[in-house]
Amino acid sequence: MTRSTLHPAGARARKAGADGVRAQLLLLELSPLILFAIVVVLFGLAADRFLTLATLNNVVIQAAHIAIIAIGMTFVLLTAGIDLSVGAIMYVVVAIVTLYLGDLPLAVSFPIGLLVGLLIGCINGFFIVVVRVAPFITTLATLFIGRGVALFMTDTAMVFANDDVLTLGQTDWLGLRSSIWVFGVVFVVAFVVLRSTPFGRQVYAVGQDPAAAAKAGLKVPLILFGVYAISGVCAALGGLVSLTQVAAASSTFGFQKEFPVIAAAVLGGTSLFGGRGTVVGTAFGALLIQTVETGLVMSNTDPYAYPLVIAGIIFLAVLVDAQRTRIAARLNRRKIRIDDPQDRG
Amino acid sequence: MAHFAAKPVLAVEGLNKSFFGVQVLFDVGFTLCPGEVLGLVGENGSGKSTTMNILGGVHPRDSGRITLDGAPYEPRGPRDAVESGVAFIHQELNLFENLSIQENIFIADFPRVGRLLPFIRRKEIAERTRAVLEMVDLDVPPTMPVARLSQGERQLVEIAKALAAGAKVIIFDEPTTSLTRRETERLFDIIARLKAQGIAMIYISHILGDVKQLCDRIVVLRDGAVVGGGRADELGIERIIALMVGREIDQLFPPRAPCVTTEPLLEVRGLSQPDVVRNISFTLHRGEILGISGLMGSGRSELARILFGLDPHAEGEIRVGGEPYAATDPIDAMRRGIAFLTEDRRAEGLMLEASIADNIALPSLRDFAGQFAGWLRRPQLTAQVVQAADQVRINTRDHARMLAKNLSGGNQQKVVLAKWLLRAPRVFILDEPTRGIDVGAKYEVYKIMNQMVADGAGVLFISSEMEELIGMCDRILVMSRGEITAVHERAEFSSERIMESALRVGMDAVR
Amino acid sequence: MSATAVEAGGGAGLRRFLVRHVLMSEYLVLYLSVLYFLAIWPFVPEMATASTAGNILSAMLPLLVVAIGQTIVLIIAGIDLSVTAVIAMASVVGASIMTGDGGYLAGSPFAVPGGIVAFLVIGGAVGLFNGVCSTKLRMPSFIVTLTMMMFLSGAALWYTTAHTETSSIAALPSAFVAIGGGDVAGIPNALWVALAVAVAMHLLLSRTLFGQWLYAIGRNREAARISGVPVDKVIIWAFVISGLLAALASILYTGRLETGTPVLGRRFLLDIIGAAVIGGTSLFGGHGKVVWTVFGVLFLAMINASLDLIGLGHDFAVGVKGAVILLAAVLDAARRRVLARQ
Repeated sequence: MTRSTLHPAGARARKAGADGVRAQLLLLELSPLILFAIVVVLFGLAADRFLTLATLNNVVIQAAHIAIIAIGMTFVLLTAGIDLSVGAIMYVVVAIVTLYLGDLPLAVSFPIGLLVGLLIGCINGFFIVVVRVAPFITTLATLFIGRGVALFMTDTAMVFANDDVLTLGQTDWLGLRSSIWVFGVVFVVAFVVLRSTPFGRQVYAVGQDPAAAAKAGLKVPLILFGVYAISGVCAALGGLVSLTQVAAASSTFGFQKEFPVIAAAVLGGTSLFGGRGTVVGTAFGALLIQTVETGLVMSNTDPYAYPLVIAGIIFLAVLVDAQRTRIAARLNRRKIRIDDPQDRG
Repeated sequence: MAHFAAKPVLAVEGLNKSFFGVQVLFDVGFTLCPGEVLGLVGENGSGKSTTMNILGGVHPRDSGRITLDGAPYEPRGPRDAVESGVAFIHQELNLFENLSIQENIFIADFPRVGRLLPFIRRKEIAERTRAVLEMVDLDVPPTMPVARLSQGERQLVEIAKALAAGAKVIIFDEPTTSLTRRETERLFDIIARLKAQGIAMIYISHILGDVKQLCDRIVVLRDGAVVGGGRADELGIERIIALMVGREIDQLFPPRAPCVTTEPLLEVRGLSQPDVVRNISFTLHRGEILGISGLMGSGRSELARILFGLDPHAEGEIRVGGEPYAATDPIDAMRRGIAFLTEDRRAEGLMLEASIADNIALPSLRDFAGQFAGWLRRPQLTAQVVQAADQVRINTRDHARMLAKNLSGGNQQKVVLAKWLLRAPRVFILDEPTRGIDVGAKYEVYKIMNQMVADGAGVLFISSEMEELIGMCDRILVMSRGEITAVHERAEFSSERIMESALRVGMDAVR
Repeated sequence: MSATAVEAGGGAGLRRFLVRHVLMSEYLVLYLSVLYFLAIWPFVPEMATASTAGNILSAMLPLLVVAIGQTIVLIIAGIDLSVTAVIAMASVVGASIMTGDGGYLAGSPFAVPGGIVAFLVIGGAVGLFNGVCSTKLRMPSFIVTLTMMMFLSGAALWYTTAHTETSSIAALPSAFVAIGGGDVAGIPNALWVALAVAVAMHLLLSRTLFGQWLYAIGRNREAARISGVPVDKVIIWAFVISGLLAALASILYTGRLETGTPVLGRRFLLDIIGAAVIGGTSLFGGHGKVVWTVFGVLFLAMINASLDLIGLGHDFAVGVKGAVILLAAVLDAARRRVLARQ
């Protein structure tokens, strides 16, 4: 038998090569944070009022509704699904709450609004899980239906929130605006659910490998149904938070909101192919987008440049992520085992 | 050797099973005692996997009695089997890379805080995980993500998962194929330790040396029936091989007149790619069937991909028909007359949602495209496709409408063969061309290979079935850990004795 | 007794006929269109008039051109969300070159050809960028084209403000306006263009090497690569074609509106994908035809027109459109289940 020999020098070189790749990978993994730091420093230099607590407060208030919806979207994306109907859900819920429930106390009308969001989410879940229509098509359809119903209800006219809603939007509790509190609660609940409950961990498992999840005895259909229901509720809540801030909704309320929401999640490291993503990342993504926008405002940039800069940053983040995935795949692909020298004792 | 309690933990009797009207198991029966390791050997298609899939709850059985600890055992699914105490560790591991070890172990049934609160008891699962990890001698924190574990460590996690579920019987299916030598030794230590704790195990492997060393008893399956067995220390490897093969090899393969020439078609010199293959050199001649034998993970399929230009190589020289060939692009490979039938026909060989005709036409489309806008010459193309389909005898009439996904495995493989035959390749690389197809279809694949070399092509034939390599090849290269470790000339083989030596080669390479 | 048996037999036969020739047919959406027309005709007799037919046609033509491009991208299992932004960007850039109101080539004989080239260059360049990102850089096409959409929508608005005080660029040369609004031999130019695109793309998909390669990539990318298909090149071309067709649609839209508008086409993004999907093109690749997309666009245009005539307005049509998409998807799911059983 020929015995293969391996020069220790070659092994060292290869190890060094692998270490280099790993260092590259680590750098790519940290890149969203680095990006964030660069953005903050740049705007700090451009506008002296930027690095203040007041700015931070503003950013969080304005990012709250997108962040809330994006957190719901994270659940869906973790299962390799997608929910295009979130913008439509926002509009339907706000239309119902302002048009038909305006006379009820908020403690009644807002929960009803959330139930409407839950219902639409369940309809999505039904078609995806039971009828087995692809998530993209199902939620595209409910997007159209939702907007159609809402436009029918409002007759395409502007709808206005009552004074209670306005007051709520301006209320501070313990020095923090109401929308920050709502965002905080959603963040904590979602964080705990995804990290520390059986359901949350099973969402990750289903997204990683649905076949293996079914084989392991997980109730895959129920989990899928659950994530669309959660996304529906979060979209409704996001719509209501937005309503407390703007107090009125035109016929374009929530229009194409699905895109910035997905962008926030993806910016935070959530994969469109399932199994990877966190609540922290998504909230970070939403805040980063809003930080950029606020920074652009404060540094007196041409308002028309905002979407360009934001699109550029999202593109950059996804580009980096694609390279990260490629390198990680290369590290994991090594199926062939050539023993280390010390193995041949 | 230990003496086992008379009362078996698992008893299988008169097991029968058919798929689509074809009976694959005939009255299979054996027993397994606590603390015993039972080796299960047999060729591919002998019924090993079907038997184990029935035990693991993957398939239901047609008839037969299985008792577990004296009680009737009828699992309704894999989960049910695990809960009853039978764990099946598949060749392809079922772990979620994005979760931690402890989460993988408890994913289907997390212990919770109280009744109402849905929170996972992290401390409890960490403790229980630590305990089972200790049993398999894996010294990593329970919170380590599975993505960061090596293949061997993942295997140990699978075992730990079985232990955490309270397994009484653990089935291993080819557990060492993707492990390093050290990982393999570690696995064997763990198996010995579990044995001492009274856990019963079934060990399936092609590596007979391992089986003989590790197991207390061996059961040999052939063509879906138990053909023999006994205590491992009384059963020689020669005897096991004789039981496994059990028939004259000659009748399984079509006769062929030797047509090897000395004209080199494909010359490979010093081909290397770090972590994949090392210093590969060989020559394939006109009219030759050159076999490549080796275990999964030995680098044989990777070598084929490099030769076809799909994967990169760092060093080495390749010539096709005497001309230097860079092997960087499949289109270039095809232009030089190389064809490649891949190991995984569903994922890489076929468009399952397309018709037979579309599949066969795909690699040749360029040759039937006109100068103007790539306009396809349909009539000529259709005629050629029909001819290629007839050449491999695909048993269906409607080539244009029948979808590839609706064909049997044998017919699917014939479609893949036909799509390359249409190009009349000079060098045909076949990676496991007979995997998962029945004996009749195999015979036809062999006939096509013979016809090709008779017509002056060269065939590189990769297979893990030693028997068919011996039956078909002019020469056999043995690969192990990315290197060619032995070459056998035809004059040396064709007898059982040579097959045994070939199996030993594979065995030595791993031990 | 025997009568009921016959009846039951007849019922089963009818069901089998319906399943085989209607549910399983690739013309299902055309049948649905006809059915819809017949159902609504008694209530809205105006549906059968030439002017309504003309309206449906003129509404669907530019949409059809973009949707055909989208179909090609869907066939390779990609998606192009940037098309409407391409329409907007090309519209304002092309208009800024041609406009008599201080355009770069105002008054020059090259104004119209130069403008048209600008439309097509933008479409082609964006397509090229999308294609390169989704192949060489391995980014998912959904995100690449999504960020492209956000970028170009913003850029189109910005570009407009840099060229005019108003919200759109008017005073386009009459020769250009004639392309979108004029007619040859009594048939509107837009129809000629759409017809030419549909026929050319149909032939491209069904009769050429490139077309077969598109389907092969959508059906199994890895098998296509191993079978010698130049996968990256074909995918890049698919995106370039989608970009070019979006630019062509922009020429038709801009000509019809006689102004370059940065919000042009913004509302149609999901209609375009919806039309292709209703027609039967799969989002998972390998499955789609130009005729199917023609039916899908026709169906959507007819629903819009009929709801307009009833007086429910374009906005309400949005909801009906959603219901129709869902219905088509449910039928498709049923169809797949029947196929799986066979």
